[in-house]
Amino acid sequence: MADKSELFPGTLDMLILRVLSRGELHGWGITNKLEQLSKSALQVDEGSLYPSLYRMEDKGWIEAEWRMTENNRRAKYYSLTRAGRKQLEHEQALWDRMSAIIALVTQSV
Amino acid sequence: MSFLRPLGRRLRHLFRRRQTEAEMADEMRFHLEQRAADFAADGLRDADARAAALRRFGNLASIQEQSREAHGWGWLERFGKDLRFAARQLARTPGFALLAIVTLGLGIGANTSMFSVINGVMLKPLPYAHLARLDRLYRVTAQNPEGNIAPADFREFQPLQAAYGEVAAYTPANVSLAEPGRPAEMALSARATSNLFSLVGVQPQLGRDFRPGEDTPGRDRVVILSQRTWQNRFGGALEVIGRTVRIDGAPHEIIGVMPPSFNDWRFLGGIDFFRPLAFTAAEAADRTGPVLRVLGRRAPTLAPEAADRLIASFGAHLATAFPAANAETHWRRVTLQSAAAGSGAVAVLPLLLGLSGFVLLIACSNLANLLLARTMTRAREFAVRAALGASRLQLLRPLLAESLLLALAGGALAVVVAYWFRDWAAVRSTGDNGEHVDFIVDWTVMTWAFAASLATALAFGLAPALFALRLDLNHTLKSGGRGPIGGRSHQRFRRFLIVGQFALAMILLAGAALFIRGLDDLNRRRSGWESRQLVTGTIALPAGTYGDDEKTTAFHRLALERLAALPGVASVSLSSSTPSIIWPEIRKFVVEGQDRPATGREPAAVVNRVSPQYFATFGTRVLAGRVFTERDTANSPRVFILNQAAARGLFGAQNPLGRRIARLDGAELRTGEVVGVVNDVQPVLPDDNPVVFQIYQPMAQEPRRESELAVRAADTAPATLVDRIRAAMTELDPDLPVSRLQPADATIYRLNYQNRVLRDMLGAFGGLGLALASLGIYGVIARTVAQRTGEFAIRLALGATGRDIIRLVLGSGVRMALLGSAVGLLGALGVTRLLAAAYPNLPTNSPLILSATTLLLVAVALVACWLPARRAGKVDAIQALRAE
Repeated sequence: MADKSELFPGTLDMLILRVLSRGELHGWGITNKLEQLSKSALQVDEGSLYPSLYRMEDKGWIEAEWRMTENNRRAKYYSLTRAGRKQLEHEQALWDRMSAIIALVTQSV
Repeated sequence: MSFLRPLGRRLRHLFRRRQTEAEMADEMRFHLEQRAADFAADGLRDADARAAALRRFGNLASIQEQSREAHGWGWLERFGKDLRFAARQLARTPGFALLAIVTLGLGIGANTSMFSVINGVMLKPLPYAHLARLDRLYRVTAQNPEGNIAPADFREFQPLQAAYGEVAAYTPANVSLAEPGRPAEMALSARATSNLFSLVGVQPQLGRDFRPGEDTPGRDRVVILSQRTWQNRFGGALEVIGRTVRIDGAPHEIIGVMPPSFNDWRFLGGIDFFRPLAFTAAEAADRTGPVLRVLGRRAPTLAPEAADRLIASFGAHLATAFPAANAETHWRRVTLQSAAAGSGAVAVLPLLLGLSGFVLLIACSNLANLLLARTMTRAREFAVRAALGASRLQLLRPLLAESLLLALAGGALAVVVAYWFRDWAAVRSTGDNGEHVDFIVDWTVMTWAFAASLATALAFGLAPALFALRLDLNHTLKSGGRGPIGGRSHQRFRRFLIVGQFALAMILLAGAALFIRGLDDLNRRRSGWESRQLVTGTIALPAGTYGDDEKTTAFHRLALERLAALPGVASVSLSSSTPSIIWPEIRKFVVEGQDRPATGREPAAVVNRVSPQYFATFGTRVLAGRVFTERDTANSPRVFILNQAAARGLFGAQNPLGRRIARLDGAELRTGEVVGVVNDVQPVLPDDNPVVFQIYQPMAQEPRRESELAVRAADTAPATLVDRIRAAMTELDPDLPVSRLQPADATIYRLNYQNRVLRDMLGAFGGLGLALASLGIYGVIARTVAQRTGEFAIRLALGATGRDIIRLVLGSGVRMALLGSAVGLLGALGVTRLLAAAYPNLPTNSPLILSATTLLLVAVALVACWLPARRAGKVDAIQALRAE
């Protein structure tokens, strides 16, 4: 297993939105997906996902619906709203710019 | 409405919290189970798998807490907790809570009641359609900025309706109202153009409106009742429509009843019924008698400024086209809403609201003091909490919650006070015909009370809160709650509050005292006449029976003879006005043999037509010449009597007797000889702008059917004459009512009721302010004494006497009171100015009242300080020092 990194503050929301942009998922599914995509390099308390989800639900970026899973269990499925998609684009652009600037600065010194 | 959706979700979370909570738990449980299943698949035992899943999840309780916060209602829940905590704290000290709530309730209540007056008089819209376009039109003369309009001028305006919009007019008068089988009553009737009701957009509730054309002579025998008259006199019977009543002796058919909303007490409130305004050709052509009150509804396309210009240019046209009647006059337009409020109210009500605000300020500073003391006893607790890392906000929240709770309870009490005040004002103002003021407590008033409560909570809650923030932790924790906590700035602040209170109380008391004394003066003052033995009343001879002047004069003569013959009567008179009557007649005069002033600039005088015994009856002293006699009749030469001011103003140092003056009736001159000079008489209403020249004419030379009856009692109490007078008048003419027949002093008392309501309110403000201020100084001194017990003990031990200590304590209290009064004195002078401007006829003899108020305040401060001072003087030095 590679060394684990902590998230930059504020980036969890963006990651969740990104994961959800590929289709609706429940909280557990999002955790799995994040693990998969980051190749288990992220060090996050799994539970801290949920306050983030609720906050974004409040803001109207994602909406939730209770449905049955394939194994017949009730689970809350989250999906992106239009506002969420816009927010994702916005945060992505912000992030890209930021990392470009950081790269620029760190490489030039 | 995308921003509403998140709000909806939040609200759902708030109101279905249990369900949200369950869903959250469910979701997390699902997560944990899945993770545990993963671990179990890796080969862990069940229990270990669950524990490992929990570890991966993080601190469950903390995450759930964060999740709840994420829903955005965390602050509300915290706030609710704060309020509950504050309520428990207050319940533990019910005495303090009660004192605070009552203080606030009275303070906010005084303020809210005053606001409800402003709301009722000025803010509440009149119940008419298109109110924004309704105007009153005034003809402004040098004597009267709100003058009425002569019929001919009104007719002149008719063509302008195309440009301005519709106009209507009415004129009120006392008339007799009689039905078969019932004694005649006097009622206030208004004759109105047939479009008055449609112009303000109100239709009769029962029956029909006037028809166009009913305002012509011969077709005008119809009447529309006000709701009040219908209820009070006709018992609200539906079958009154079509019934015939006799008005001034002539039969009229009742055709309608107006709805309750129509006679708003601010406009047309006193009118009992309405008749069409039917002028004969001669009446309609009259340009000299301004009798019409004119209102208009602007065309929707006409801007207010354009309307102003239109009205002003019409006034200018009248002044140039008819200089005899209209030179030096102009026209102006005022919205009906503000005209109904009255210019006096607009001037004085904000002043009173300000004064009631002072009461609230005193209450606030009292509470700030109380809360400060309360906070300081908890200083140790605050210090400990701050030392343990509580944030400023966490320290402040319970304090603010406490003051908010108190203020809201006070606000609720204030609404009760406002309701009570509304009933009180209605009772106090109810007139003979049941008309009364109506200061409703509506949402505007409620909002005011609520806003005042919030502002109050901030005002008195913030002071202790700020002091709590500035606590010196080290010192407080070390001193262990003993000694003068809070230090010097704290003491200074409390002194500052007390000085401020006394300054405000000084302004309040001085203002109230000036107003009260001024009104009492007016009520008692009878300058130039004497009212104690007088009975007065109003008669209006019906035009039908007493159509011409000869009949009127004959009846007057007969009535005077009969009444003078009654036992207990000293003298009797009839006159067109009295020193307390409301509708004075103002005319212009020129002196024969003097250069005539420019047209419109002739001197004006109040004209009173009087019967021979008038001056004897009213006790007005005759200074020179003679009074009118029975020989001054319609056929004898015209004669005048001047008051002293008119004699001086018209003739200077010359002897006016035998000189000739002329009254201007339009272009016509009515010339006569001056036969006497009498004392100046001052009217009794405070807001009348007095016209100083008074000129009397014999009633018989120009009789009026509406006149004031006055009877002077010889030695009996005047009230005992009332029934005898009424019986004698009924015997003369059973159709002729005498209204307001009662002792003159009672009539004057009634006339002043509006000002008396204000006077009582001001008195209440002043008393309340004084009580609160004395309570405040008592509290502060008592507290200081308690804190300085140790110091006093040392002083006593070192040889000071109890008397020295008392002097010390009293001195500090009196110093604060004096300083406050001195500051307040400046404010009081300002208030005096404002009162004098609003009531030109009100005596404001200030130096005496101001010094008396100062003395009163210092005396109150002395008494309030005396109790704690005596306790300080009795300190047992040994015991106090041991207790240290």
